[in-house]
Amino acid sequence: MSAVKELIGKPAEWLSGENEESELVLSSRVRLARNIDKLPFTHTGREKVMADICGTLKETLSSVRSMKGALVIEMDETSEPDRMMLAERHLITLDVVKNYRDRALVVRPNEKLSVMINEEDHIRLQAIESGLSIRQAFTSVDRLDNELDRQLTYAFSENLGYLTACPTNVGTGLRVSAMIHLPGLVHNKDIAQVLDGLRNVRLTVRGIYGEGTEVMGNLFQVSNSVTLGLSEADTVKNIETHIRKVLEFEKKAREVLLKKARSLLEDKIWRAYGILKSARLVGSKEAMGLISAVRMGIGLGIITDVPMAVMNEILIMIQPMHLQALYNKPMIPSERDRVRADYIRSRLGK
Amino acid sequence: MVCQVCKEREATIHFTNMVGNKVEKIHLCHLCAEEKGFDYLKKSSFGMGDLLAGLLGNASGKVKTKQVRRGCPNCGTSYARFKKVGRLGCSECYDFFKDQLMPLLRGVHGDTRHLGKIPKRFGKRVTLQRRVHELKEDLRRAVELEQYERAAELRDEIKRLTNSDENRDETCRQ
Repeated sequence: MSAVKELIGKPAEWLSGENEESELVLSSRVRLARNIDKLPFTHTGREKVMADICGTLKETLSSVRSMKGALVIEMDETSEPDRMMLAERHLITLDVVKNYRDRALVVRPNEKLSVMINEEDHIRLQAIESGLSIRQAFTSVDRLDNELDRQLTYAFSENLGYLTACPTNVGTGLRVSAMIHLPGLVHNKDIAQVLDGLRNVRLTVRGIYGEGTEVMGNLFQVSNSVTLGLSEADTVKNIETHIRKVLEFEKKAREVLLKKARSLLEDKIWRAYGILKSARLVGSKEAMGLISAVRMGIGLGIITDVPMAVMNEILIMIQPMHLQALYNKPMIPSERDRVRADYIRSRLGK
Repeated sequence: MVCQVCKEREATIHFTNMVGNKVEKIHLCHLCAEEKGFDYLKKSSFGMGDLLAGLLGNASGKVKTKQVRRGCPNCGTSYARFKKVGRLGCSECYDFFKDQLMPLLRGVHGDTRHLGKIPKRFGKRVTLQRRVHELKEDLRRAVELEQYERAAELRDEIKRLTNSDENRDETCRQ
C-alpha cells in the first residue's frame, strides 16, 4: 500500500474531538520555519541543490526520535489528486501541490507531527492537535526542532533569529493557529467586530485552508502575524489569551440565542441534521453550513447521538479529492455531490 | 477597521478582488494605498509575499550602491528580484540587504529584534548579548531616575560581562 493510501485509510488523530474546548476549536496548529545555513532558499535553488537538500533532510529526519516510524512521501512520486488530498488534510500547502519537484513530506502515521521539505523554506515543522491545545502542539514541534538542531546548521542571525525565505516569518519562524467554529457570532452579526479586534492585536484571520481562502462552515483560522520582538512562549500565550476571549464571546452569543430564540435555533439545527441524514445530492459549501449547525447542536447538547469526532471526520472526508480517493475514481462535481450525500448518510447511520 | 499594511491607521479604502469564484477583501488606509501602488492586488492570490513585493515596489530609489544592484555574493539574488517576488534568495541576503530590510521588518513586525529561541551553537554568546542589552536598558532607566548608585553597579556589571566576552573571543582566535 502506498504511504498516501495508508494515511487516508483512517482519520487523522487530531479530528478526535478530544481536549479542551473541542466543541468550539476544531484544531490547534503550530508551525516552525527553518533553513539550512548559506544554502539557497527553495525558490532560488537549482534542481541538483534542492535534490541534495531533500535527500539530506529525509536522512536526518529518519534518524530523530520524534519521527520514529514516520512515513516518507516523495512528492515526485505522487499524483496530483494525491497531493490535493494531502492539502485537504492540511499536511502540505497548495504551493506544493503545484510545485512538487524535489519536495517531500515526512509524517507520523497519526498525522499530529509532520515536516514539509523544500516548501517555501527548507524545513517546515508542523504539529496539529485536537481542540485548544496550542501548548501541547508547540511542545511536540519544539522537541523535534531541538533534535534537528543537533544535526543541522540552521540559518540564524543573532539579531534577526531564524532566517526564512519570506521576511514575514523571520525571527521565531513560528506560526501558531487555531481553527475556531463561531456560528453564534456569525448569527448575531458580532463577528465583524470580533475579527477586527483580533486584527488590532496583530492576529490574522483566514479561511479554512489558510492564506487567500474563503471562510466556510463558520470556521475561522486565527494565527499570529508577528515573529520578531516576541519570544515563542509569549506568542503562544498571547494568541491563546485572545482565542479564549473569542470563545467566551461565542459562548455568550449561543446562550443569548438559546434564551431568546430557542425554538428557532433548535429548528435550524434539527433541519440541518435532517437534511444531512436524508439528502441525495449535497454540494461542499452547503454541507459545510449544515455540519456547522449540527456541530453547534452537539455543543449545546441538543443533538446527543453523534460524537463530535464523527462530524470532524465528515468535514475532512467530504472534500473533493477525499471523495475521489474513497470511491477510487475521478468524478465530475455533480457526481461528487451524490457520493458526498451518500457518504454523509452512511456516517450518520440512518 | 485597521489598515492591513501599517496596522495603525483606519482602513478607508476597501478592495474586493475576484479570483475565480472567490472574493478577496483588502483593507488599506489612504496613505498606504497611495504609497504602495496597486499592482500586487492584481495577482491571483493575495499572500504575504505578494504584499511584501508590493511594499517593496516603491522603495527602488533607496538602492543606490553598485554592490547592492549586483546582488547577493552568496546566491546572486538582486534587489530587483527580491522586490519582484517578495522573498530573499538565501540566509546571507539578510546581511547583504540589511539597510533595505530593516525598515520593512519594523513595518511588518513592529520590531527588529529576535527574542526567541537560539540554536545550540549560538547559545552562550546570544544569551550574554541579551543580558547586556537588558542591563543597558536598566542603566538608562536608572540614570533617568537619578539612581546613581544603582547606575554605577549596572555599569560595572556590563563592563564585567563585556570584558569576559572579549576575553573568550580572544581565546577562540588563538
